[in-house]
Amino acid sequence: MTTTAYGASQSTFHQAVELLRAGNARLVSLFGSVNDDGTRRVHYIIDVDDCEYRILSSAVTGPVPSLTAIIPAAAWYERELHDQYGIECQGHPDPRPLMLHENWPPDIHPMVEDALHVPLAQGEYRFLEVRGEGVCEVPVGPVHAGIIEPGHFRFSVVGDTVLHLELRHFYTHKGTEKLFEKTPAMNGAMIAESVSGDNCFAHAVAYCQAVENAYEVSVPPKAQAIRLIGLELERMMAHIADVGALCGDVGFAVPAAYNSRIKEALLRASTRFFRTRFWRGIAVPGGVTHNLSPENARELSGIVTSAAEDFAQMARSILDTPSVQNRFETTGILGREAARSLAVVGPAARASGLKLDVRHDHPYGLYREIAIDVPGYHYGDVMARARIRIDETAVSRRLICDTLERLPNGPICVPLPSSANPEGVSAVESPRGELLYWVKLREGRIARCHIKSPSFQNWPALPLAMPGNIIADFPLINKSFNLSYSGCDR
Amino acid sequence: MIGDVVKRSLESPTVLISVADLLGDASGSRMPDVRAELLTETIARHVVDACPTSALTMEEHEAKISGRRHLLLNYGECIGCSRCVQISEGALLNTDKFSRCGVAKEGLIRRWDIQNRAEVMQEEPALSEAAKQIRSLLGRALNIRQVDAGSCNGCEAEITALTNPYYDLERFGIHFVASPKHADMLLVTGPVTRNMAHALKQAFDATPSPKLVVAVGACGCSGGIFCGSHAVVGPVDAVIPVDGYIPGCPPTPAMLLTGILRVLRGH
Repeated sequence: MTTTAYGASQSTFHQAVELLRAGNARLVSLFGSVNDDGTRRVHYIIDVDDCEYRILSSAVTGPVPSLTAIIPAAAWYERELHDQYGIECQGHPDPRPLMLHENWPPDIHPMVEDALHVPLAQGEYRFLEVRGEGVCEVPVGPVHAGIIEPGHFRFSVVGDTVLHLELRHFYTHKGTEKLFEKTPAMNGAMIAESVSGDNCFAHAVAYCQAVENAYEVSVPPKAQAIRLIGLELERMMAHIADVGALCGDVGFAVPAAYNSRIKEALLRASTRFFRTRFWRGIAVPGGVTHNLSPENARELSGIVTSAAEDFAQMARSILDTPSVQNRFETTGILGREAARSLAVVGPAARASGLKLDVRHDHPYGLYREIAIDVPGYHYGDVMARARIRIDETAVSRRLICDTLERLPNGPICVPLPSSANPEGVSAVESPRGELLYWVKLREGRIARCHIKSPSFQNWPALPLAMPGNIIADFPLINKSFNLSYSGCDR
Repeated sequence: MIGDVVKRSLESPTVLISVADLLGDASGSRMPDVRAELLTETIARHVVDACPTSALTMEEHEAKISGRRHLLLNYGECIGCSRCVQISEGALLNTDKFSRCGVAKEGLIRRWDIQNRAEVMQEEPALSEAAKQIRSLLGRALNIRQVDAGSCNGCEAEITALTNPYYDLERFGIHFVASPKHADMLLVTGPVTRNMAHALKQAFDATPSPKLVVAVGACGCSGGIFCGSHAVVGPVDAVIPVDGYIPGCPPTPAMLLTGILRVLRGH
């Protein structure tokens, strides 16, 4: 990965705007931090030409101009910046608080002051009102009907047809970024694993790589191989379960149950060879904690192969089913331009004609030595998002089996220095897309950890896929994006 | 085509795990256990220092009375990071058998006498009144409403797995329902966030009595790794009364099942 860091400059904002306007550049993240002298800082991370992360940062003393009117993808980041650091983004079209609900007093900014024991406040959150003959509002959540995370959806409908959807999230906001601060760098992966539990290994690896990049430590090849196996296994499990859940959402219960069983076979294989179902505790800064013997590698390869083949055949039968085609096709279309303006990442981007994949664009670990096939579709509907997951499961299986076949020897972990005070950044392609960690370290502890999660990036795109669809298709469309609430809310 | 899907499913062999193999199983949970015979004062001190969530502690108070120190392990606070196991010279191990699921809060704590190298046994706390009522009213035909009060979704992933063909929760007559109004039991995950506390209270109030509440996961039991965050109110029992606790980060489907049945059975 190439990164360029610019020094402090008042023109940082204009540099960011120029870059983003100039052509092939994408806003990756925007966040604040506090300098050692207590002053605040704003950071912009921009992906230039899909191959270079540029980090622009600048000290700030007052308000900063808002990027949102030019780059809509900045909208939530700037609201978060204000909630966390009290940095106002002047000209923001929607400056409502984001993660601090009305139970927080308006003048609290937890990243720059003590926010423990703040008494409950009362306030009102105003949703956008859609007026007109026959327009009804349907509020849903935060407690939902299934075994899912909490969030609020406010639909404005005429009959069954959705005119507008507004999201209200951050019910699971746990102050995670603040919690990282002062944690020993070696313990940070435990917090990262609890940012979004179903993608816990991707979070742990992204965190560890950021720390390793900061300390300029190279991880031994065998540890890189084990990380790749875990990352791709996590992707396989997520995609197989998602395709099953999509079937469940159109009342097709048999493949939903069947796919949950394939996923469970992989979870049980993880337990057998790594003593953990979701790969928690495996990644640590410097490497991994669990080794894999050549015999176990052969067995794991067999299990992964049969699971992938089983899934591929089931997926073919699912896609051949006319009632599935009828429900999936042309449902919940996210157009390419809409996806681009909100800087959408992951399977949702690849289903809408944007070929973004961190493994290909900004390779890390063992991916530096491997050519990655990035499947792409341009329809942007539920079907395209289902197909992406089916295609990617086959790619993951190939990556796992190739890696298992050529499993390197040697150590699986190296010690880290703890004297320097560096900063580091790293991104991985999680099952939901680009997941980036930025860390600042002070004497072996974390001084700041920013998490750019693909769910935070992609949630604002969901409302753009809803208008014109019927409200009964919402669970299906929502599932086809399959975003994490906790990963977004942090 | 639909026919191919159904045929494929019907032709696949059964994977259902027997009840005997499920109850008390904890493989893949990373929960620690202590080999009392290998425990020394030095090891105990090391593992207590290494524990990031203070699940492991030494009881100093006890030392004053009898001159004996106890090592305490509170499973409700354990996130299964296995740091203790890695540095314990074999005195701690990741266990595949674990039965402290669906217990009262005190039941989550085990203690070992370090000098005696033996576990200090405790009596199991009694069954809650609501559990007795529900058991006599419903037997085991239980309706569960799952409420995520701020979890990372790791617990949700495992609760969802309870319904897959390996565990098939429905074979016990237990169902997940879509509303707290239809529920006999609330299965609550997460450290309760400041933003979810009100909704959790409302869900509890909407559940008809007699009702049971089970706190799930290290976060639900104790706040877990999120203890002390400004955006977190606390564990589930900081907001609503809890009848049983299922520890783990996340608890495996077998641990969840063991816990749910135990809360109903009461022993």
